[in-house]
Amino acid sequence: MLQINHLYKNYGKFRAVNDLTLHIPQGDLFGFVGPNGAGKTTTIRIVCGLMVPTAGNIMINGVDAMTHQKEIKKQIGYVPDFFGVYDNLKVREYMDFYGSMYRMTSREIAKISDDLLELVNLSDKKEVYVDTLSRGMKQRLCVARALIHNPALLVLDEPNSGLDPRARVEMKELLLNLKSMGKTIVISSHILSELSEMCNSIGIMDHGNLVTAGRIEDVMENVFGSNQLIITLDDGRETAVRIANEYAGVKVNSVGEHEIKLSHTMSKAEIAKMIGTMIANDVVVTGFHKQEGDLETLFMRVTNQEGGQENATQSNC
Amino acid sequence: MRLNPIVKKDIKVQSRSMRICWGVFAYELILALVFFLAMAIIQQESAYSTNNIYSRLVWLYPVLAVTQLIILGVVVPVRTASAISGEKERQTFDIMMTTSMTPFSVIMGKVMTAIVQSMFFVVASMPVMALSFVIGGMSWSYLLWFLAIALLVSLFSASIGIWCSSLCKKSISAVIMSYGLYVAFFLGTMLPYIIYQIAESAAYYNGTVTTVTGYSYGENVCLFWLINPAVYLVEFFVEVMTGESFVSQIPNIGTGTLQTGGPIRYIASGHLWMVLSTVMFVAISILFLWLAARRINPIKKHGAKNKA
Repeated sequence: MLQINHLYKNYGKFRAVNDLTLHIPQGDLFGFVGPNGAGKTTTIRIVCGLMVPTAGNIMINGVDAMTHQKEIKKQIGYVPDFFGVYDNLKVREYMDFYGSMYRMTSREIAKISDDLLELVNLSDKKEVYVDTLSRGMKQRLCVARALIHNPALLVLDEPNSGLDPRARVEMKELLLNLKSMGKTIVISSHILSELSEMCNSIGIMDHGNLVTAGRIEDVMENVFGSNQLIITLDDGRETAVRIANEYAGVKVNSVGEHEIKLSHTMSKAEIAKMIGTMIANDVVVTGFHKQEGDLETLFMRVTNQEGGQENATQSNC
Repeated sequence: MRLNPIVKKDIKVQSRSMRICWGVFAYELILALVFFLAMAIIQQESAYSTNNIYSRLVWLYPVLAVTQLIILGVVVPVRTASAISGEKERQTFDIMMTTSMTPFSVIMGKVMTAIVQSMFFVVASMPVMALSFVIGGMSWSYLLWFLAIALLVSLFSASIGIWCSSLCKKSISAVIMSYGLYVAFFLGTMLPYIIYQIAESAAYYNGTVTTVTGYSYGENVCLFWLINPAVYLVEFFVEVMTGESFVSQIPNIGTGTLQTGGPIRYIASGHLWMVLSTVMFVAISILFLWLAARRINPIKKHGAKNKA
């Protein structure tokens, strides 16, 4: 769907994006994560045709975004971080306006905008002036607006900034709904917990570099190493450790009074077999679960590693 | 034909605000004041003349027309100067640029909106304007000429405004820049002639030349007036009211031949000045529109520097 190849963007001597190469498959909900000034918005603006890269190219469904702007614009829906609305324009007219900017006929616009307003839960606000809507409603309207021409790729830059918790939940549900419809979505955000709940793949940027990218599970595994397993038990701690050490690919990391933490490369069946062996050997296992690495820890770990490379991102041009 | 969506939206949005009502009110009020003032002067002059007062009412035409064109010249740049910068301030510009609208369509949409709005005002003034035709006995074709000139003034003013708007981030800067450019067209084009006249006079007093009335190629600096809006309007109304060319009546310009005085001798005669001047104003307007479209196009520089 979206292929970014060796993308560079310089602002004078400062390099905002440094050799960014990224592939986002069709139907993915991709989370773009990074601290302020990491280059997320610059990348998004380049993808949306609002900025020219210093070097590199972007392909959307195999079409070069730089040389085929007209076709690309039909394939992208863009929701900026900050946006304004026109005074004295009703919700229905707002949708009409943007629909006609994509050269859609009045009939096409009427049909699709009804569906979209229903999707974003604004059906009852059609005749309401846009500037009277709440921030959350405006944000949802902006998503509906971005979908008016049925784009294949939806790009959202910090869509949750400034929203109250309820509006954030509504926005999350809306995006998950769109994902289930098969839309490819790229979303940048600082709210990592929400991204981890929504996205199936992520890219972490820092100082203009794409530090890591891929499916969330793969990125977690790459960063945190092998899978972590926590076994809680009431009795038979020594036996449990002995049995665990008998399995290849298992490393006991820590042993607590009622808890053993281990890392492993086993399949689910092998884990079940090991737990079964422990129970058969009179170990009182009260539970076991996989220790999930969270996105915030991942983000901190990855960006801290890259922190020292700040100077490397300065352009030599 | 498909109406530009920006024109449709902008007119709808602006017609819902009170600003347009107050605008028409102020416009009509100014025209009414000018009309009554002109009538009073005409009446007073008729008291000392044996001429029929009605024949003098034709002068309402240039007075009201020039008043309207001055208002348009002042108001239209303000409207377009805030068009693009206003979208940027409102943070709607980026969204607009990600749609299928080309930068030129966006610019034309904004300019067309300004022109259509100025035509609202002009049409609203038609009953007052019609007095000089009904009572004064002027040819109705001049009404159409006035509309054409109003359209040209609107286009020219709008194109200056929109170019400045594309350059500036703030509307206020764009408005100031527009007026600056406007003044440059009024005064800047006069400057070469003023310098030439001063040099001629200085040469005369120093005894370098013995006459200031001879033919000189130096007078061709008056060709800059072809893009002077004031000269254009004066030329048009003098021609309409007296049947003579204003430019050709300027000493040393209207006489002589192409061979003895250069192109100015030829251009200043007949209707050629108006035709050329109109073409130049349209060309300048198109140039400003093109520059503005180029300016707002985010991918205009692609390919120029493709090195990391």
